Amino acid sequence: MNPENKITQSQKLMVFVLSMSLYGLATLFTELIPSFQVGIVEFSVEYFLFIPLTLAMLFDPLSAGLGAATGELVFSEIMLGQFGGLGELEKFLTVTIGVYIAGRLAKNPLNRAVVAGAAILGVIVQQFMGCVVDILKVQFAVEEFEAVPGLPESVFFTEGFAFLNDVLFSGILFCMLPTLFLVPKLYGKIEPLLGMKPRNAENMSASPIPVKGVVLSIVGFAAAIAAELLASGGYELIDWEAAWAESSSAIIVAIIVAAVIALITIGVIRSKAASSKETV
Amino acid sequence: MILRNISGVKNMRKLTENILDKFSIDYLRNQVLKNAYGNDDTVIAGLDPRVLLVWYLFFGLVPWFLNDVVFLLGLFLFVVMTTKAARIAPLVLFLFCLGVFSQTGYLFIAALFFGGSLDTAAPLLVMTLKVAIVSLASITVFSGLNPDRLANGMLWFGCPGQLSFSISFAYRILPVLMEEFQNILLSYRLRGCPPKKEGFIGKIRYLGYQVKMIIQSFYPLMLNTAKRSRTTVEALELRGYRYSIQNPAVRRMKLSMLKITRADLMFIGISAVWVCADLLLSVLISR
Repeated sequence: MNPENKITQSQKLMVFVLSMSLYGLATLFTELIPSFQVGIVEFSVEYFLFIPLTLAMLFDPLSAGLGAATGELVFSEIMLGQFGGLGELEKFLTVTIGVYIAGRLAKNPLNRAVVAGAAILGVIVQQFMGCVVDILKVQFAVEEFEAVPGLPESVFFTEGFAFLNDVLFSGILFCMLPTLFLVPKLYGKIEPLLGMKPRNAENMSASPIPVKGVVLSIVGFAAAIAAELLASGGYELIDWEAAWAESSSAIIVAIIVAAVIALITIGVIRSKAASSKETV
Repeated sequence: MILRNISGVKNMRKLTENILDKFSIDYLRNQVLKNAYGNDDTVIAGLDPRVLLVWYLFFGLVPWFLNDVVFLLGLFLFVVMTTKAARIAPLVLFLFCLGVFSQTGYLFIAALFFGGSLDTAAPLLVMTLKVAIVSLASITVFSGLNPDRLANGMLWFGCPGQLSFSISFAYRILPVLMEEFQNILLSYRLRGCPPKKEGFIGKIRYLGYQVKMIIQSFYPLMLNTAKRSRTTVEALELRGYRYSIQNPAVRRMKLSMLKITRADLMFIGISAVWVCADLLLSVLISR
């Protein structure tokens, strides 16, 4: 049937569904567990990222990453009505990239040092990208960011601190240790349930080339940054308009422009969808 | 010192109780399902999902570009009304408030440390207002709508079929998964011997034990879910799922139920009139 032990399309779908439902359930819980603060250090079960990390090290990393990001989106954002629109795109990309990188790095799931290193690296990558985007977001939302006393320092400080906190506390306690516990334990047991052979050097190399993945992740991160920079560019544009018009007519124009842009976007998306339907 | 210790222990007890309260899985499941399927008879749920998504695009983007407080307040009032019309479950609203106020409040306190003053509060309040408008608009749309309709609306705009499948699948699988997780957790609890939870150290140890148990119970859950997801995917394959999400005829058939009615036009009209009136008001006040 499948002599080379390549991962088939339907097995990828299985990994996707598995990662989605498990990580979705876990994020639903973390959304509801209150975090508590001791002084300024915040202790929270930030996320159960160990689930997609484990799956990415055992199965196809890309499917596991995409499944985890989708699961988070659907279970904890859409189901609880906390869907944040464009902001979720950034989370989607960072989770996918972080999990994917960790999964690619851990070639041999039985080597504990590699598993631990890959797990913590995945967390660092994910958290760092999230941190950068967060800082840019506040800069964009607050008018004359630099002029507000104390705000720039506090943003950099809180974000940097949250980053360290997340990596050192949640990263080690809730991502690295559970992954170390689960990966060797599940290796060889969970694969037959999906009808495939455990990962080894041969079928790893049979999955798509890493170069493509690396390029994809760089492009993905660039897209996230570009979206943010574009947004701040747009903000300056509005600011400039308000400076010359001063009156509300500028605002009215801006709103009409926004509405027209929204409609055009819809039109473009729609026609794209239609054309892709025709080509298929 | 002793007094401080006592209050610390009290806080700790409160915390564990709080977590256990929240962890009543039945409550959680009921809230989520109620939020999803319980309010099909509201005004918002009856609207066309496409109209609501476009509406959301407007209310989710425009506030970011404006800094006029009167205008933002007007928009805020409007989204509060739509949220009320959508009859959102209290748990969701509570989480929303917690999220919005904890984030900016934390930032404000940190800014005070760095020599900020009350002047720092004003821009932060405007930012809070913006975040609140955007999130309430998204709550209205994404939890006021029945998930199937939402998925269809997104499919119409060309979202990948996997997303709409994931949404429907999530609502179906979530109660099952939660029950299974609870059963596993209970069986671990029956077999385990928790540490004594006396004193501050004991409390921490107890909390750590609980967290460790939750993580361990993911091991059987992963194996069970792997089996279940294989069954699911094989059932999907048998029905030609991967073929059908790419087939335009299937898509058209699936989306033929979407129709724009008079209620949709009225909703658009009311929103437009409100935004215009709001603009007028903000102009008059600023003069």
